[in-house]
Amino acid sequence: MTLHLIDSAGADASRTLHQTMSQREALRPLFRAVWSELATNFGPADLEAWSAAVLKLVHVNAGPTCLIVFWDASRVVSRQKQVAPLVMAADAAADICRWAGAEAATATLKIFPVVGRLLGNEASLMRWWRAMQMLASKEPIVVSLVAKNMTEILSSGSIDAFESFIASGLRASAGDKKRLMSFFALQDEFAERLITHGASAVTFAAVEIELNAFVTALWGHSPLLRPLSHNGSQGSPRRVSIAGPLIRMPEVFRGFEGDAARDVFRAAAAHAQAHLVFGSYPFNVGSLKPLQVALVNLIEDARIETLAMRQLPGLRRLWTPYHVAAPSGIRTSPSLLARLARALFDPAYSDDESFVTKGREMFSNAAPRIRDPAISREIGMLLGNDLGQMRVQFNAKSYIVEPVYRDDGVGLWNFGKTTSSPDEAIDLPADAASDERKETEDSEHTTAESDTAASAGRARPIAPDVMGVVIARYPEWDREHSFERPAWTTVREVSPHLGDPRSIDAAIDQAHILRSRVRQLIRGITIGRTVRLNRQHDGHDIDLNALLDAGIALRLDQIPDPRVFRSSAAAHRDLSALLMIDVSESTSDRLASGATVLDVERLAVALLAEAMERLGDPFGLLAFASDGRNNVQMTTIKSFEETYTRACMARLSGLRAGLSTRLGAALRHAGHVIGATKSGRKLVLVLTDGEPSDIDAGALDLVEDARRAAVGLHAGGIDVYGVVLGKAGIKSAARIFGRGKTMMVHRVEDLPARLSELYFRLARR
Amino acid sequence: MDLDAYRISTEPYYQPVGDEVMVFSAAYAERLPVMLKGPTGCGKTRFIEHMAWKLGRPLITVAAHEDMTAADLAGRYLLEPSGTVWHDGPLTLAVRHGAICYLDEVVEARQDTTVVLHPLTDARRILPLDKRNEVVPAHADFQLTISYNPGYQSAVKDLKESTKQRFVAIDFGYPPAATEAAIVAREGGTDAELAKTLVAIAERTRNLQGHGLDEGASTRMLIHAGRLVRAGLPLESAVQSSIVIPITDNIDIRAALTEAIRACLP
Repeated sequence: MTLHLIDSAGADASRTLHQTMSQREALRPLFRAVWSELATNFGPADLEAWSAAVLKLVHVNAGPTCLIVFWDASRVVSRQKQVAPLVMAADAAADICRWAGAEAATATLKIFPVVGRLLGNEASLMRWWRAMQMLASKEPIVVSLVAKNMTEILSSGSIDAFESFIASGLRASAGDKKRLMSFFALQDEFAERLITHGASAVTFAAVEIELNAFVTALWGHSPLLRPLSHNGSQGSPRRVSIAGPLIRMPEVFRGFEGDAARDVFRAAAAHAQAHLVFGSYPFNVGSLKPLQVALVNLIEDARIETLAMRQLPGLRRLWTPYHVAAPSGIRTSPSLLARLARALFDPAYSDDESFVTKGREMFSNAAPRIRDPAISREIGMLLGNDLGQMRVQFNAKSYIVEPVYRDDGVGLWNFGKTTSSPDEAIDLPADAASDERKETEDSEHTTAESDTAASAGRARPIAPDVMGVVIARYPEWDREHSFERPAWTTVREVSPHLGDPRSIDAAIDQAHILRSRVRQLIRGITIGRTVRLNRQHDGHDIDLNALLDAGIALRLDQIPDPRVFRSSAAAHRDLSALLMIDVSESTSDRLASGATVLDVERLAVALLAEAMERLGDPFGLLAFASDGRNNVQMTTIKSFEETYTRACMARLSGLRAGLSTRLGAALRHAGHVIGATKSGRKLVLVLTDGEPSDIDAGALDLVEDARRAAVGLHAGGIDVYGVVLGKAGIKSAARIFGRGKTMMVHRVEDLPARLSELYFRLARR
Repeated sequence: MDLDAYRISTEPYYQPVGDEVMVFSAAYAERLPVMLKGPTGCGKTRFIEHMAWKLGRPLITVAAHEDMTAADLAGRYLLEPSGTVWHDGPLTLAVRHGAICYLDEVVEARQDTTVVLHPLTDARRILPLDKRNEVVPAHADFQLTISYNPGYQSAVKDLKESTKQRFVAIDFGYPPAATEAAIVAREGGTDAELAKTLVAIAERTRNLQGHGLDEGASTRMLIHAGRLVRAGLPLESAVQSSIVIPITDNIDIRAALTEAIRACLP
């Protein structure tokens, strides 16, 4: 048969290829098989072209693996009866092989059928090959990496995004190999952002605030929405994942843009929160098979949606557009499940499939017990048996929940270690689930640590210098000899660690009662600041008392005072404030609530900063710690010049506890910083949790020095107030700041409320 | 002087939610001052009108504001061709002739102003007019009622303890859903079904209280929405213009609210 085909083709390339292959023992059988398959799809001319393409690969010494991969790809692509993409592929792969080696070419060819499917048209595919060729010629080492992560990179499905991604990667790394590798390995934040935010997709971050408000409005509980982190999965469409109380949302829903994307985010968030409102979890997996688990999930989805729609009928409109399954002859498990999902959701949907009708019947029979989660398990198990008897294949690994807005269901289950079915398909999600749960427990407290762990493998733009830049030297008071040692302490500016500003958002959101109280304080200050001016020459109103006096004066034949009007004027705020935050080791102590002192400090500062920003008072935030007199560390969280942005919040959330408290030097530096501002009133608030201390000086000396520093600031017209946490620093604090200028906060948990109150009390004067 | 202009002739509709009518009646019987607390638009003013009608007393209402002085309440000398003439303020009027004096949003007034209420609200029941050198003893029928909205008022302008502790307080909240629906149906002229939907919508906005909204939609807003529907507006645009747009300027919250409200519509 083979011979016959060659004869009919009668062409050179085919003959040469056959001759070459007949000498390659290992490849020959495979080649023959491929050839005969291609012969059914291609005509002689196409086969000739294909042969020439294969020969090109042979000529650049691409190696057997590469050829086999190309043949595999050819089998897949040949079904579309087009040889052009294959010729293009071989040409380009040969080039890549020449520049970047056989391995890179093989990896690229391996991914190419998938890319063809993702991009959809030949013109885009050609641009894709060209981009890969360009990459191979410029940075050969990353070609395999890019090929490996291709589905991820192409997640937006647009060639423009891909080209700009490659170009950005080359530009951003600018020859830095380490950066280059981490970028194309997608371990670089910039790369991740490009992928998820590329092609103007609507991302979770863009809709987060609205989603939060939407779901809160629906059921009154503020949802804990979090982004679903990249896990490098093979580009499978992502679903929402529930983990304990957290709802993890995909960064983007692929294939949805603009308003459609906003809609699907809403549908997904509402569905997930409905689980948390109407369901009670976790279910125990027990001896359930993966198919049964999937069905129980499906029934549970229908159950909670029914309950939700009873309360809020309009939710049906939100979810309907995604139920698109339709009756068809093919009985595959995903399609049957999707049809069942639709049947349970949409009463108008008709489907004669016995499995679907049975499921529908069982669900409607269970309607009186709809509030009981057990029905999900009962119905799911029975239907699972039915589906099993129908001999329908179910692959738990490749199964993806449909419709798109529903959650993956993993979070509803407790995959106990005692599970009697050691099915791999169950173990996989089980690990994921337990990981998530761990994360939930820890995330509140260990954001800083996990941040380091997560970024350890990544290249950082600038590693924060531990010693920092020397910015000032200050004298220190020698108590024993009563004189000032000049230039005794060295203050260094250390670059801040960046944390996740969301953790600040979350903390503030939890303290929303406090936040609204602080907002009221602001309102009081801003509204209440109009001052009434009596006895004016002009104004919007007559000052009755002045007028009466004038009338009396006239009758007494005296000269009346012409100032008989009154007006009001807004009081001018002229205050700048500097908040000094003590981050010494002792702030890592845990409180009864489990939070650290630093956590509470952070929340208090965040609340106050938000308020000060609203008020428009210029303010600065500085964190301080010390490690001997030559290393007093200052971390600028917000300088007076900048506005309070997400970047400041990231720095605030990245604060870490460590080292000691050399308060005197910190105060002198505070005076230096706030002295540069032009406001009439200058206020320094020091947030500390105890006595000054350091490794190279006694507490008494440091207290005395801090007192002198505070007195010095007062003399310079700067108000210094100490906010002291706990009971440790009572005596020394009063000595340092003065009794009237110290606020004791015995219960650290009260700090956020007290700090803001103090500020407003001081700021009103 | 008679206060006929201040009398309420027809019964103002009021749907009691708890024991507030009893409490107020008892307080009036003892002539104790009353403080009405509650969010805006939940029926405080309507309640006092209803009580004034029920008790057959004239009602003098004063809306407090930032610039209100003690003279604005008590009265002042005015200049007339014949000389200076004393004019009673609204409070003095009520004290002299026996009306219910209702001070709306009293914390808005300056604290030195609210102090004039003190001698009226304890056992003395007198109003000293220092400018006129007169002490006005309260008429037997006089009663003082004040209102304030603890959520909306600024904390710095909270009532002084010494003022607060003179009053019997009645707490107003949004009525239970069924009651509120009945109120909306009656006042807004809507059918029962629509009223129920409107109340469900209000619940969505109240869920957002503290999470983007300072206060949820009031019963008054729902009545307005109902009346817009009665006037021929489609429900969705009625709700949009009577609730969503007035209640917030934040675009995200507005979008979220619009969608959440859509979820309530059948």
